[in-house]
Amino acid sequence: MKVSTMEKYILLKNKLPEWINMITPTYTIFAPVKEEDLVFFKPITKPSEMTLAYSNAIVPPKAQMFHQTETMFTFTQGKNIRVNPASLPDEKIVVFGIRPCDAKSLSIIDPVFTNDFEDPYYLTKRKNAILVGLSCNQPTVNCFCTSLNGSPASPEHLDILLTDIGDKYYVELNSEKGKQLVEKTKKLFTPATDADSKKKKDVEKKAVDAITRQMKINNVDAFVKKLDTIFDAPYWKTIAMKCLGCGACTYLCPTCHCFDIQDETTLDKGARIRVWDSCMRPEYTLHASGHNPRPERMNRVRNRVYHKYNYYPKNHQMIACVGCGRCIDNCPVNIDIIDVITKAGEVKP
Amino acid sequence: MVNEKQLRDEVKKLVSRDDVKYVIGYEQGTYGFQVTPSFAFTPEEAERFIFSPLCANNLSVYLMLEEKPPLRKGEKEDTRKVGLVVKGCDARAVVQILQEKGLKRESLVIIGVPCTGVIDPKKITVKFPHQIKPVDVREEGNHYVLTINGKNQKIPKDELLFEKCKQCEYPTPVIHDVLLGDEVKSTKKEEYKEIKTLEKKALKEKWEFWSKAFDRCIRCYACRNVCPLCYCKECIVDQLSPQWIYRSVNRSENTVWNLIRAYHLAGRCSGCGECERACPMNIPLTMLNKKIEKDIKELFQYVAGVNLEEKPLLAMFKPNDTEDTIL
Repeated sequence: MKVSTMEKYILLKNKLPEWINMITPTYTIFAPVKEEDLVFFKPITKPSEMTLAYSNAIVPPKAQMFHQTETMFTFTQGKNIRVNPASLPDEKIVVFGIRPCDAKSLSIIDPVFTNDFEDPYYLTKRKNAILVGLSCNQPTVNCFCTSLNGSPASPEHLDILLTDIGDKYYVELNSEKGKQLVEKTKKLFTPATDADSKKKKDVEKKAVDAITRQMKINNVDAFVKKLDTIFDAPYWKTIAMKCLGCGACTYLCPTCHCFDIQDETTLDKGARIRVWDSCMRPEYTLHASGHNPRPERMNRVRNRVYHKYNYYPKNHQMIACVGCGRCIDNCPVNIDIIDVITKAGEVKP
Repeated sequence: MVNEKQLRDEVKKLVSRDDVKYVIGYEQGTYGFQVTPSFAFTPEEAERFIFSPLCANNLSVYLMLEEKPPLRKGEKEDTRKVGLVVKGCDARAVVQILQEKGLKRESLVIIGVPCTGVIDPKKITVKFPHQIKPVDVREEGNHYVLTINGKNQKIPKDELLFEKCKQCEYPTPVIHDVLLGDEVKSTKKEEYKEIKTLEKKALKEKWEFWSKAFDRCIRCYACRNVCPLCYCKECIVDQLSPQWIYRSVNRSENTVWNLIRAYHLAGRCSGCGECERACPMNIPLTMLNKKIEKDIKELFQYVAGVNLEEKPLLAMFKPNDTEDTIL
């Protein structure tokens, strides 16, 4: 495991702006920026634009790799038909301040964009990105990453993890990419001491203890199997009754990755675009014939749960949920995945 | 506020009736200040019902969301009534739907709650961001009393109330079969202060304000789905042939979407503010609705959803109607 050989450093807090300034000429830095009481990952030009006192970005940073709207190619119509592939960005990016849960979500959706077909749009950005994480010292009410084997201070899935341990950051380098980034700016970093490592552990423990909402399922693998037995349970209908069928939960989910492809045209030209899609919408499964295999909200609500907790683990050996709590925070009718899963565990087959 | 026992008794009575399918109300949510919609099919399920200043949702949306799968051969349509708990603003949405013949009056049993205002969840969450255990919230005069970990906290109502409630002219449901408690009379008047301020701004400033807001839109359509009056069989934004609005999420398409939504509610919006509450991106959607509401009031002296006998604004003509609106 990489973790044991991981290099650990200390970066003084007052050196952070200097570090960001040093890497800004080479990389486009996406960092948490506050706007209208919400936090978004946006490109910054100077360190003062970002805010690190935040819980989680409203839109997960998956949006930096998997754009909500992506032009695949443009074309001209009429006599001179021409197809022009969209240029793939070669800019190097740093996603700064990404939470460990959101970094994990990228590892979860990677197989979707690599397995059967290598998706150039996602992969170009993914490969050009360095993920510099920031441990989540103050988890929010609906954080439950620990229910899904996550930790608010885990360097796994990140290139670098910073943990705020008072007046300094404890820096863990978890990949070659991460090492290279620090190598170029080495003068700002000093080796971490055992006391620093202990401090990080303490901070992590405090954060883990602060996560009080948990999915009450004893065994995750058994739960995945259990879902096979309750597919037809009336339970799903009771949840679906209050579902409005909007897409807030899916669009704000860091592991939701469905998209629609459409041509948007004027008389003589057009573009083939790819946009986020949501399985909560009836249109999502509507066939050209008019038949809809998921005709009711119950089918769609159940699909959201099954896709994350049953189909995905079967296909990719991972639960497609990181416990970030966004779908709970933003559901207008309090459909709460912690509660949904906990109660599903109690449903009799 | 409402006597919960009286509410539950009323609901139990209703669900015991042969001509009532179920009753829609509120129950305790899963954490903090959450309240969640609840459906009682049996008297036992009615025991879960609550009513508190946290009951913000406009439940009338569920009347329009009810799914009616195609009938099997020999199967008869279930024509039993649906019961619904409504506050003042929610009732106006029901009246509007009935005016538009979206539903039949006889298909509903309406339990009215004379409303003294509800709490804006965004405001209370800012004050208590770490609240996980459910909190008992009571209203006492001009204060809310919150019981957190056995301790009472008194907070002035004004700090937590929804902005819409501060100008509410119809706190007692204008339509109901049962009214729980005494009528609440309002002396408030919608002054449209915020709208008037925005109207005075230069065009460029307005555009900056709205483009910044619409840039945030992710087109999840929570605003549409939570709205009891957005019940088109196929929403214009879902239509593919012809496709009026592209799926691309950018300033142009987002602006069109948000304006179309507001315009389609012109003379119909009952001002419940659910669109803004549901919006995860904090887009001030109520301002759009209120601007149109104000214009309509000035042009046609019309207020949506207050009189069941009236025709919908866009379905009537008066010889003395202003012609300023005709281009």
